[in-house]
Amino acid sequence: MGENKECSSMVDNCEEVPTKEVIEFRPPLYKQRYFFVKNLVQQHKPKKVADLGFGDATLIWMLKYHHCIEHLVGVDTYAGSTSQWEISNLSPSVGDYLVPRDLDLTITLYRGSAVQKDSRLVGFDLMTCIELIEHLDSEDLAKFPEVVFGYYSPRIIIISTPNSEFNPLFPASTFRHLDHKFEWNRIQFQTWASDVANLYDYSVEFTGVGSPPAGAEHVGYCTQIGVFQKNEAKATESCISTPEEHVYETVFTTAYPSLQEKKNLLLVLSAEVLRASNSMRLRFIVDPKKKKVNGRLVPEDSCVPRYGLIVTDAQRAQIESSPKPYCVGKKFYVPLERLITFPKVNRLVDSVERLRSLLSEALKLNRDQSALQVDLHDHYSRTMLSY
Amino acid sequence: MFPPFFFFLLYNTHGFHIRFHVEELQLATRLQATSLKERKRFGGIFRDHVVDTRQYLEHVRESTTGTLGRPVKLFTNHFRVTSRPQQVTYKYNIDYLPDIEDGKVRSELLLQHKAFIGECHIFDGSSLLLPHKLLLPKTELVSLLKNQVVKLTIEFISELSPNSPDCLRYYNILFRRILKQMNLKQVGRNYYNKQEATEFFDHKLVIWPGYVTSILEYETSITLCADVNHKLLRMQTAYDLITGLRDPQTKKEDVEQVSKELIGSIVFTLYNNKTYRVDAINWEDNPRTKFKKSGGAEITFVDYYREQYNTEVTDLTQPLLISKGKWKKSQQDTPHKPIMLVPELCYLTGLSDKMRKDYRVMRDLALHMRLDPEKRQHELRKLMNTIQTEVQRELQLWDLKFDTNFMSFSGRILKEVRIFQGRRAFDSHPQFADWSRETRSGPLLNVKSLDHWLILYPTRNYGAASSLVQSLRKVTPTMGIAMREAKIGKVDLLDVTSTSPITVVLCVLSSEKKDLYDGIKQYLCVNCPTPSQCVVARTLDKPQTLMTIATKIAQQMNCKMGGALWKVETGLQNAMFIGIDCFHDIVNRRKSIAGFVSSINQELTWFSQCIFQESGQELVNGLKTCLEAALKLWCKHNQFLPQAIIVYRDGVGDGQLQALMDHEVPQIDWCVGGLYLPVKLTFIVVKKRINTRFFVESQGRLQNPLPGTVIDVEVTKRQWYDFFIVSQSVKDGTVTPTHYNVIHDTVCFTPDRIQYLTYRLCHMYYNLPGVIRVPAPCHYAHKLAYLVGQSIHQEPHHSLASRLFYL
Repeated sequence: MGENKECSSMVDNCEEVPTKEVIEFRPPLYKQRYFFVKNLVQQHKPKKVADLGFGDATLIWMLKYHHCIEHLVGVDTYAGSTSQWEISNLSPSVGDYLVPRDLDLTITLYRGSAVQKDSRLVGFDLMTCIELIEHLDSEDLAKFPEVVFGYYSPRIIIISTPNSEFNPLFPASTFRHLDHKFEWNRIQFQTWASDVANLYDYSVEFTGVGSPPAGAEHVGYCTQIGVFQKNEAKATESCISTPEEHVYETVFTTAYPSLQEKKNLLLVLSAEVLRASNSMRLRFIVDPKKKKVNGRLVPEDSCVPRYGLIVTDAQRAQIESSPKPYCVGKKFYVPLERLITFPKVNRLVDSVERLRSLLSEALKLNRDQSALQVDLHDHYSRTMLSY
Repeated sequence: MFPPFFFFLLYNTHGFHIRFHVEELQLATRLQATSLKERKRFGGIFRDHVVDTRQYLEHVRESTTGTLGRPVKLFTNHFRVTSRPQQVTYKYNIDYLPDIEDGKVRSELLLQHKAFIGECHIFDGSSLLLPHKLLLPKTELVSLLKNQVVKLTIEFISELSPNSPDCLRYYNILFRRILKQMNLKQVGRNYYNKQEATEFFDHKLVIWPGYVTSILEYETSITLCADVNHKLLRMQTAYDLITGLRDPQTKKEDVEQVSKELIGSIVFTLYNNKTYRVDAINWEDNPRTKFKKSGGAEITFVDYYREQYNTEVTDLTQPLLISKGKWKKSQQDTPHKPIMLVPELCYLTGLSDKMRKDYRVMRDLALHMRLDPEKRQHELRKLMNTIQTEVQRELQLWDLKFDTNFMSFSGRILKEVRIFQGRRAFDSHPQFADWSRETRSGPLLNVKSLDHWLILYPTRNYGAASSLVQSLRKVTPTMGIAMREAKIGKVDLLDVTSTSPITVVLCVLSSEKKDLYDGIKQYLCVNCPTPSQCVVARTLDKPQTLMTIATKIAQQMNCKMGGALWKVETGLQNAMFIGIDCFHDIVNRRKSIAGFVSSINQELTWFSQCIFQESGQELVNGLKTCLEAALKLWCKHNQFLPQAIIVYRDGVGDGQLQALMDHEVPQIDWCVGGLYLPVKLTFIVVKKRINTRFFVESQGRLQNPLPGTVIDVEVTKRQWYDFFIVSQSVKDGTVTPTHYNVIHDTVCFTPDRIQYLTYRLCHMYYNLPGVIRVPAPCHYAHKLAYLVGQSIHQEPHHSLASRLFYL
């Protein structure tokens, strides 16, 4: 919510404005604010992130694609309905089951206000208040720092708010949104922010998004942003035990499938292992110089796939130095020692022992459990490859 | 963000204080100009169910129920609705200004006024059903969509009586909402339980069990029909498929093969949960290619996915897939902006041909997905119990209640059908509906000798070919087939055939290569019309099955040359039977092929034609031509016109019933009625894809009903002359009944006669010495359309038309 007029003019390019030229931001200003948050997430890799005043949850949706985040929480006074979020893009989709995340992720939406305390919001790495404070009346604004900085006390806080110095560049001379209680200039915001930062032992840096047009550089960014970082050591936060206080109403909560769950790990691992063995199998079939050694048919070729699965030469060399696949009868065997050298397999499991114990639950291994066993020929190799 | 939510109720008559921004209102007015998309949210089945086809059928005014056969107590997967609202309900139309396309968003915007409309409501995307009347016939509300104000106008349309079919449509929506509350995941139209997923690690497959449900009105009651179905998820990307087809030596993709396997398939993109149909492959571009974003900025695919979805594309040399976007029949002529997709991020859906041919995959899937009657009942009981206990509240609001037990009533088992083969006659097996042993042990009905025939094989398959010929020599005498020495050739010497009159060509193929098969069929069906039989050498490998296979091949060749294996008495004199089925070419998406197979004499010799049909074009024109040709040939063989024509029409989609009534039937009727001797016509719609199942109880367990079980009560419709037949027998799983709907009948069949006739015709498919799911002409039409659509792609030579060359 709280989207500004500068954005509505974005939606509609053919707007007829008689007096002043409409300022267009590319990408739209709200996206620039969200990308600002995304960049900060990329940089600091927070595990627990909360968005105060999540509105239509666009930012939450954008943040769910970040692998580092394990808890994503939104708080809004108007938080919509459970059923609305269940069918939204915040719920895990089929794709999330096909390609599970590395780490767990839960998304929770609460109905509540940023000036009420709820113990579930304590101990976060990052809190964002995008275009929030200007909607607070003076009473709430006074309570806000105590709750967010004092009580929740996350490692990083991002606060964005309109820069009123930019307003004269807009056609209308009112506030950017009719619910805004105030719009600050840079000095006003920075004074307020620095006072709050000092009081709660944060350091603050100021920046913004939405650059002013040429010739009007002196007005500064259209949206001003303060990034607050907690000064004290991170360790202290866990020592303070806060009494459980649940004020917010949970509107929606969902857990994403992840590789932390064994079933998902097995599925992804076996797909990856079969992908690797399949590429080697095809190389093996067309290799003209296969030799029989101790009842095994061994290829002359290194059977290292030349595409897709490998990125660097070092990776290739590592695969080449591992034991070669072989064939006995109509079965094709790939030593686990080789499988684990494939980057995408290695990413999932770190040792041959772990690979063995996992694969033995999902796929067929040879008798001494040292190699994966698959059929040498499938429909494709039977019909397509001349051998 | 984060202010107290504000919305305003604008009662137009009261003139409340209007507080929203003037600019935004203007914006809204302008956006309204965008065209309103027609909302076809609900399946054609609802449209079909309100078509009254029985009103024209005087002879079944009293009853559509037959009496022949042995009564049997049956159960079905329908649950009776025991309670539902008895009062009038109120229907309101909801208008959005600006118009909103997305159904989810529309619902979201309306729900912002839950307090106003009340908790008890059903919304279908454009209209609202309420149990109470709103204060005013027209109410205006304002909702917020991001920063945009959307005006909603709720306008009263009509009162719905508790029995109106429209009401049922709303109950179905309500029921879907309930399934959603049961924590089932919606994929497409159905709901799946991801908690009970089964993984097939070695096939890279996951299966989610789910349900299909519908609440509809039948003969005496409204029922909830529930069946179990499954969603197949594949852990395989389009990229895997492309690299899998790279030649391991040249490292070049087999461009043709990749196109063949990918084009026409539906891929699923993880990041946005959407599906696309692949229309082409762009080998020139790769993920480093730049494209224009909606904002106008240029960005590479790699950067775009990284920025937008934090997803890394690893292979930068892969080609791109092109999708022309969602295809809609109504928009086929408007150009689409093609969408480019990165193969690595596209997951394949459905079963590939490769998987279908892998018996291990199919065996594992069948074991899991084919539920026998007992298991099916168990799963459905579970669903009904959950509904009764966990999500009852919503149902209570509407006073909806369901019986938790399967509906039960009486069906009838028709007598076994007598099969005549030459002088011999035998009954089909009462349980397995099969006569394979009987048919093998004596001469066939109408034998064609193997005089001038050709056998083709690649040199390396000499062994297989010669053992096949030896086996043929052993099995043919019993069948009464005189067999001469075959001419021998090689596949690459196919041209030889044109020089001498060859009656049949037998090809031994070294592999299942589709190109070769297609090439052979194309040549022998079009250029040089000769019946042909292909067999893959590998199937001849096993000595223990060789005789069975040789028998089958001999029988099939006999049919293809115009012979006949057996016959049944149809009990009708001078009647022509017609079967029609369609094949929709998914690759060249626009063309459909209809097979049209008609009998030309009392002995049931079949005459086969096909119709190439542009999409959107009615089948009617082609049908008339086919029918005229069929009648002409009938006259040539019989010296008189048939007295009656019985059409079995398969391949009719949901929602097309009215169109059949309006166009197809009158055209055919007009065509046959205008002859010098009017011919009577019966037109029957055949449906195989239905969710209704039947069971019998035996020794305390639910089992499949016996072949020949007919159902014409309770789950049939009052407005239709319809019935179900379970004609085939299945080894495992639950048998699917076939639904027959007689929509036109000037022959005036009694229920008993049409049911018996239909069942008998299910015995006439020569490729299987057993009873099949549909009347034989329907299945012949299917085989023909499939061969033409898959392999030949053009009209087969007319000289083959009176032989079952496509068997």
